[in-house]
Parts: sequence; C-alpha cells; structure tokens
Amino acid sequence: MNPSLLALFVVVPLATSALAALVRVRAVQVGFLVLVPLLSAAGGVGLLLEHRHTPVIATQLGGFPGGIAIPFASDTLAAVMITVTSLVTAIVLGFARRTGEDRLRFFPALALMLLAGVNGGLLTGDIFNLFVFVEVMLLPSYALLAMTGTWRRLGAGRTFLVVNLVTSSVFLVGIALVYAAAGTVTLASLAGAGDDPRIAFGVWIVLLALAIKAGAVPVHGWLPSTYPATSATVMALFASLHSKVALVAMLRLYAVVFGESHPLLLVVAAVVIASILVGSWSSFGESTIRRTIAFQMVAGVGHILVAVLIASAAAYTAGLIYMVHHILTVGVLVLAAGAIEKTYGTGHLVRLAGLLKREKLLATIMALALLSIVGFPPSSGFWGKVSLVVASAQGAPGVPPAYGIAVIGAIVVASIVSLLAMQRLWHEVFWGTKMTLVRRGHARQVGSGGSAGSGGEGSTGDGGGESVPLPGSMRIPAVDLWPAGALLMLSLVFFVLAGPIWQLATKAAATVLDPSLYVQAVLG
Amino acid sequence: MILALTIGVLTGGGIYLLLQRSLVRIAFGVGVLGHAVNLFLLTAGGPAYRGEPLADRMDPATAADPLPQAFVLTAIVITLAVTVFLLALAVIGRNDDTWRVPECGTEHER
Repeated sequence: MNPSLLALFVVVPLATSALAALVRVRAVQVGFLVLVPLLSAAGGVGLLLEHRHTPVIATQLGGFPGGIAIPFASDTLAAVMITVTSLVTAIVLGFARRTGEDRLRFFPALALMLLAGVNGGLLTGDIFNLFVFVEVMLLPSYALLAMTGTWRRLGAGRTFLVVNLVTSSVFLVGIALVYAAAGTVTLASLAGAGDDPRIAFGVWIVLLALAIKAGAVPVHGWLPSTYPATSATVMALFASLHSKVALVAMLRLYAVVFGESHPLLLVVAAVVIASILVGSWSSFGESTIRRTIAFQMVAGVGHILVAVLIASAAAYTAGLIYMVHHILTVGVLVLAAGAIEKTYGTGHLVRLAGLLKREKLLATIMALALLSIVGFPPSSGFWGKVSLVVASAQGAPGVPPAYGIAVIGAIVVASIVSLLAMQRLWHEVFWGTKMTLVRRGHARQVGSGGSAGSGGEGSTGDGGGESVPLPGSMRIPAVDLWPAGALLMLSLVFFVLAGPIWQLATKAAATVLDPSLYVQAVLG
Repeated sequence: MILALTIGVLTGGGIYLLLQRSLVRIAFGVGVLGHAVNLFLLTAGGPAYRGEPLADRMDPATAADPLPQAFVLTAIVITLAVTVFLLALAVIGRNDDTWRVPECGTEHER
C-alpha cells in the first residue's frame, strides 16, 4: 500500500463534509452519511490486513524529510480504533436517520467533519497536529450540541464549550513547554525523552489536558452534565469518539515518552482508582437512563487508564480490549435509551415503568448490554474486565504489587456497585406496574401510574387530569432498535471471537510499547 | 522578563473573567487567556531571536524560529472561530446577568 494514501482517511470525510454542506440534495447527503463511515471502516480493515506484515505505515505530508514534515502514522492500535470508531459512527448515523436528525440543515456536514477529526487524531504522529485534529473534532461537536436535544442543551453547550476552550489552552501550554525543552513536537522524536524532567513536565501538562477531554476523575464533572443534555444520537457519537480519541492519544503519548519507567505512579493510581469508583458510585444516584450511562463512561475511562498505570504489554492489551468493549456497550445503551425516548418521550426512571411486557426486543437488548457493562458474559464486557484483572495481577517490574491489588479491588467494588446501579435502572424501567398516560389540559405526559412515589394519585396530584392506560399500539418500532441491536451483535461477536481479538490487541500493545519500529517508520 | 510578566497578567485577567457569571465576560476571558497562551507559545521559540525567518535573506543565526509562529497562527484561527460561537451562545438562551430566587421566583438585575 502506498503510505501517502493514509491522508485519505482525513481528506475524504472533510471533502464530503464540504460537499454535503453545499449540495442540498437529500440523496447525496444520505449517500455520504452511509458510505463515508463504511468506507473509512473498510479502510481501517485494509490497514489491519496491511499491518500483518508491516507493523507501522508512515507518511510525511508535504514530502519534507522526517522530523520536519507533518507525519501520519498508522500502527495496529490506530487501525483497530479507526475500524471500530468508523463502524460505530456508521451505525449511530443510521439511528440519526430514524430520529430524523439527519434532515437538519448541516447535520451531515458536521457529522462527516467529526469523523475527519477523529481519523486525523488517531493517525497523526505530532502533538500539535493532535491538538489541531482534536479541535477539528470539537468544532462540529459544538454545533451538533447546540442543534439537537432538549432546551437544556444550550446551558450544557456553554459548559462544554468553556471547558473545552480552557482545556485547549492547557493543551497549548503543554505543547509550548515540550517544544521549548525538546525543540520538536513530533512524537517519534520524543521517544524515550521522559528522562529529561523539562520535557516530562510539558508532556504531563499535555496528558492533563487529554485527561480533561477524556473525562477522568477529578476533572470529569463536565462530562455527565453535558452529554445527557444532547440528543441520544449525538451523545452516542460523542461517547464513542471524543473521549476515546483522547484516551488513545494518552496511551500512545505515555508509552512513547515514558515507556515502562512509571513516573508519578501514585498520582496515576489515584486518578485511575478514583475514576473507577466515583464513576460507578455516581451512576447509582442518577435519575435518567442516559445520565446513568454518562457516569458509567467516567468509570470506563478509569478502567482504560489502568493500561497507563501498569504500563506492561498485558495492561495495554487489556486497555485496548476494554476500550473497544466500552465503545460498543455504551453505544448500545445510549441508542436503546434514545429509542425509548423517541417513543415514550422521556428517559426519566420515575416516569418509565413496566416496559418488560411491552417491549420484548428492547428488554433483551438492554439486559445483555447492562450485563456487558457490569462485566458478565455473554458479551464483550466479560473479557474486558478479565483482561484488566489479569494484567493488574501480573503487574510490571516497576510497579509495587500493592498497586495491582488496589486496582483489582477497585474494579471488583465498582463492578458490584455498577451491578446494583444497573439493577436499579432495570427495576425502574422494565418492572413495575403498567405505564399510564396522564392527560392534563393541553399537555400530554407519560407517567407511571401506580409507582410508589405518587401512590397511584399522580394524575390528581398536581393540576388534575385523568390517567389512561397507554394505547397498545404505542410500541417502539423494530427499525428503531436495529442500530442498538447491531452494536450488541458486535459485542456478542467480540465475546465469541475473543481469541483472535486478544492476539490482535497483544500485537497492537507490543507495537505501542516498543516505539522503535514507529520511530524508524516516521523518521525514516 | 516583560514577556513573562505580560503572560502572567494576561493569564490572571483571563482566569478572573472566566470565573464571572456572564457568558460575554467568559468569552472575553477566553480571548485574553488565548493571547496569554499565544505569547507563551512564542516564548517557546526563544524570544531573543527576532529576525524574519526568510531562509535566503536572513542570517539563520539571528532568525526567529518560524514553527511557534505557525503554531500561534493556527491557535489564533481556532480561538477566533470558537469565540464567535461562544458569543452566539451568549445571545441565545437565558440572560446570565439576572438571577432567580428559588422561593419567590422574582428576578433581580445585577
């Protein structure tokens, strides 16, 4: 394969994004929305096939010599992530067509631009270009956030925007420090540079900025307060793309700069364990389906960052496996919540009840996804947690065993708490009495008639109105559930094909942890 | 030293504005903080070298490092675009300068 074709992963989505903004023919826009993510996923599979014999493919944009040019480099990690994120994007955009959001004036253009930024962020071999691609990814997100979802999105959009702007400033300060100390921001030239404390300081600032963008505790507060205020489609896009690009960048930057030297072990351990515990604990107290899932995302960040804490080949393998699992499972849950919201008009736990009898397919999908996020078979979550625990138990030469034990303890406690939280979600949404429709004046609202809080008097409690049973015809159409179902199938396939996937992840971890091949390919 | 002090003052002012309630002031804060970061990026190239970085006309020994300048250019463009969007968000939605007392629901001008 010609390495310069790597640029197409960014060029094609950007070009089609511009075209989709200009050409207002619906067939063309839908064609782009369907084809471009699938093409990108196919390209990712092509890269994976290529990486069977060439570990790293690199190209210098503009043809300048290595070290000066802007490098694009793909290794197994990048190829896996491009494949997974593009595939998930394709499925989520399928859900956007069900909700009608793709009819919004600029939605197709913005979604494709988002994909361009994600692909660029995964492929770039230069910290400053990572910043640029993260911004390319964030700019359409601001607009997507402002045009979909409830009115609360405007407040959430402010938080999202200001947090990301300040984080970008922190990111730039880190880049300036790295450049001032090392004279370069090319990742390959920084390999093993963590021994110099001045460079290490700059890299830590960059890692801090990436941690904010990923949503790790204690800098996670913006994530659960903004993501659920958007529509389910946009939240699914953000959940599978944004924080994961930041996490991949963290894994790669840490591995290239620090290798297996474990600086600031205590700080990293505190962040990892706090994220795992706070995320799962907080998901217990939330009032809507998607807010619960948003806190599970914070917990997921902690699980993935175990890779950085232990920093062994096994830990990186586990981190990658968990990341792929998390993208798939959170996608299922958010899209299923979106399907509920589309039909029943609410995602509030108190207003939903007794869906088990009405929605068999939805209940099956949700049950498997909830088991997956807790870590039970038969889905990807099981292997995600098993690999993390195994890697933590094995430990690494520079990490005292106490840290591994603490991580395992945190994972176990978090799993139990998550199980209870997910059980609560299941109990509120799928069990209980039949849902009723409360008609009051002009407003129509869906409420759970016989729930304990309202004591069956919900209809007369405030403002009057009569409580009527939901019409039997009010069901979630099966086509609304195909995106969630498709992602769930991927998660189940992940469980069955764990062997080959594990080998692939091991290979990806080996290439990331031993940057010599990467350096050789980029610097030439 | 002047440069360091300027960056310090701009950062302080930017953070003060960011902590205000009104989104317009936050937008100004983002702008001021952006300037501080841009100056910081320029410092990374070694501020003592001031010559224009034109390869065939200047002595490379005195020429400024062009790369931080390119960084700053990119950062300025991004900050500008986002600031415009931030100001648009400040216009739509509710008015930040009024605040509502929960019990009686009356509004006060600040």
